[in-house]
Amino acid sequence: MLGSRQQDTGSRISGGNKAVESAYLLNGGEMYVCLSQYLRHFVEKLTQKPDEQFLEFYVKKWSRYTIGVGYLNNVFDYMNRYWVQKERNDTQNKIYEVNTLALVQWKYYMFDTHSTILIQEILKEIEKQRNNEVVDTYLISAAIKSLVHLGVEQNETKKPNLHVYVNMFEQVFLSKTKDYYMRESQNFLSQYTVVDYLRKCETRFAEEISRSNNYLEDHTKKLLVDVLNEALIEDHAAEMYSQFIPLLERNEIEHILRMYKLLSRVKSTLPPLALQFEDYLKSQALQALENIKKAEQEAANSTTTTGGTSSRKAPTGMVPPKVYIHTLIEIYVHFNDILNRAFNKDPVFVKALDNACRYFVNNNPIALPTPRSPCKTPDYLARYADAYLKSNSKEAEVVDMNANNLMIIFPFLEDKDAFEEHYRRLLAKRLINSNCKSEEAEEQIIQKLQTANSLEYTSKMTKMFSDMKASAELKYYNGDDFKEFTPLILAQSMWPFKHVPDYSLKLAPELQEGFLNIESVYQNRHTGRELKWLWNHGRAEVKANLSRKGKAPFIFTVSNVQLMILLAFNKKKTYTYDQLRDIIGVAPYIFDAHLTPFIKGKLLEQKPIGSENLNAPDTTYTIVDEYKSKKARVNFVSSIKTEQRVEEEETNKVIDEARKDYLSASIVRTMKARKQMKHKDLINEVIQQSVSRFRAKISDVKHAIDYLIEKEYIKRINNDAYEYLA
Amino acid sequence: MNGERFPVEPKVAEKSVLIKNMIRDLNPDGLQEDFEIPTPNVRANVMNKVLEWCTHHKDTAFSEDDDDDARRASPVDEWDKNFLKVDQEMLYEIITAANYLNIRPLLDSGCKVVAEMIRNKSPVELRRVFNIVNDFTPEEELALKKENEWAEDR
Repeated sequence: MLGSRQQDTGSRISGGNKAVESAYLLNGGEMYVCLSQYLRHFVEKLTQKPDEQFLEFYVKKWSRYTIGVGYLNNVFDYMNRYWVQKERNDTQNKIYEVNTLALVQWKYYMFDTHSTILIQEILKEIEKQRNNEVVDTYLISAAIKSLVHLGVEQNETKKPNLHVYVNMFEQVFLSKTKDYYMRESQNFLSQYTVVDYLRKCETRFAEEISRSNNYLEDHTKKLLVDVLNEALIEDHAAEMYSQFIPLLERNEIEHILRMYKLLSRVKSTLPPLALQFEDYLKSQALQALENIKKAEQEAANSTTTTGGTSSRKAPTGMVPPKVYIHTLIEIYVHFNDILNRAFNKDPVFVKALDNACRYFVNNNPIALPTPRSPCKTPDYLARYADAYLKSNSKEAEVVDMNANNLMIIFPFLEDKDAFEEHYRRLLAKRLINSNCKSEEAEEQIIQKLQTANSLEYTSKMTKMFSDMKASAELKYYNGDDFKEFTPLILAQSMWPFKHVPDYSLKLAPELQEGFLNIESVYQNRHTGRELKWLWNHGRAEVKANLSRKGKAPFIFTVSNVQLMILLAFNKKKTYTYDQLRDIIGVAPYIFDAHLTPFIKGKLLEQKPIGSENLNAPDTTYTIVDEYKSKKARVNFVSSIKTEQRVEEEETNKVIDEARKDYLSASIVRTMKARKQMKHKDLINEVIQQSVSRFRAKISDVKHAIDYLIEKEYIKRINNDAYEYLA
Repeated sequence: MNGERFPVEPKVAEKSVLIKNMIRDLNPDGLQEDFEIPTPNVRANVMNKVLEWCTHHKDTAFSEDDDDDARRASPVDEWDKNFLKVDQEMLYEIITAANYLNIRPLLDSGCKVVAEMIRNKSPVELRRVFNIVNDFTPEEELALKKENEWAEDR
């Protein structure tokens, strides 16, 4: 209930009466001074009990004082609103609202005179708590809060100001904390293992963070963490590094993760760890590859000593592509797993893994048997793909091989152009020999390569597929007599085949109609295109009526050259070497290579016998009347001596040429856009551009530049720059 | 008039910050029972008026912000305007009471009403409205007029 009494003596506030107003102002001033003095006396009279700790005394009195001040402030509300407000606006006097006045008095007559002991006792309590002693956390938090309240500024009384807290407490607190943990970590590491230390740090961080949430200002949190990071982590990073490799060797992911998490608090401590990771990975990879190489060599030695032949296998000394590629993948998967579980896919470590993989994929004893040779990994990878894309591989062998594995390794290849070349050669063979296992699988790989590199990268392969389709269409225009003839029209620059003049085969008259027909159909559709027959590729199947009576005829698989030889024997049973060679037309060494399987296979009888007489002009060859073989199908192609080595060298030469062209084109393109460029910038730019295909050597770029200067595409200016010549 | 009592809900009384603080200080655990607050320097009929305002606005949420400009610019609440259509003496006493009891919205409205009374009036009109005797000599008046000539609307 409210009561109102009209009192005649009550001082009434009314405007206009100057005497009353000044009396009222005077009253305010007097009241303020008295209050201020009262508060001073009150604070000064507070005394500590003899058995009381100062901190305890301080907090107890402070709590009572602040409650009392709250009441006091309300009681003097009117004075706050008018007299204090006006004084503060009008003069620069140190006049505060009652609440603030009380804090100011407390600060002068209590805090300022006792701050040293107070702060000391707070810090002592905190240290006790760090030593796991039981302490009254209320005392700590209340005392620290009081410091915040005491930060009163003359001009900004409303906003809390941390200067007392920061200057009197925080600075000392941080330096004490640093000392404490420097001491502790030193002692701890001298007695316990690094793994124990990692655990200890984890607990310490958790404790300190919870402490700072409980009674420190936000301002301190970051600084505190910085101090801890320095004392616990940065100062002891070296000790942690020293245990990293042993932990990796023992595959103790849990501890590595712990180490990573601690170190990642200080970003600058991560790169050295990542470097160790990278080096370790490289050495592990080289070890593994060295092992399989050795194992393979031992296996090769034992087979040669037992006299076994492995002529159908990959070139001798070559580790099986599957073993090699799967070893690479295993290493990658193993460390990628560590990356995910122990390093949270941290970019620093992702990069380390990348670097290491790029390194060991391209530089290892198998990829580089001699330091100067081109890297063999692209070749291996292409053969790996070929193995499972070929229809004649054994299912059990290839069941665990797939495109995803291929794509794990592909990004790490430095010589992506070499892979393209090798892969395309093998693809070409698959296509013309029609032993692709599945068109879908082929397309899938091309799709993946395109995504991983570029549309341009796969353009030749794509063109090869469309050539195959166009050729299939063309087949329908052939006459009925030749419906088993499958001509393939292959664009010269896309396919890895060359027209070889030595193979200029003379076409047997029986076949001429079909070939001429194809040529004319094709020329009609595409005028101006030149067709060249690649006699060195392609297969024919021949039905041979050389069996005993009543038996089914033999089916011979033969090369084109062999086909012409056999067709010649349809007319005559015996030819001299010179006659026969004249009919066929190819270069002698090719003729010999294709003739030999017939003699070895006892289809033709040579007179006089002996390999030294093989190519004597008068040696005669007669076809047998009755051919003897257990098999109904005989393959004369596989025993033709082919020039594997030549092909490998040729591939490398093609790659080299392509690189020169690429670099020249790249330089011209760049110079055309920039007109003028410094030598260094040009080199960098060109190397940068070629990185998605291969790793260009500076000397190669220089050669290309010299070549272009000679050809007057560009010219040298000012010794260290070039200019584009239109 | 003397010793009159005005029983009201705490919610109404707490429109006065003075009273609100007093209630809180004396009853930190919440108001347990009725109690009496003496307001010696407010006349009973003025108190009546003030409480009428408090009751009307008991559920109004006034903005707490200290932005003086915003408070000054806002127009007087329509209800307040009618409520303050009282004789001048009453108006001044309401203002004084609102000031003492610390009821800022009422104090603001009151002062704005007075400001409205002054706005757009000539000195002669103002003298009549506020009952002020002109104690300038004609010379002084002329001098003042000349001094403020620039402000004249012509």
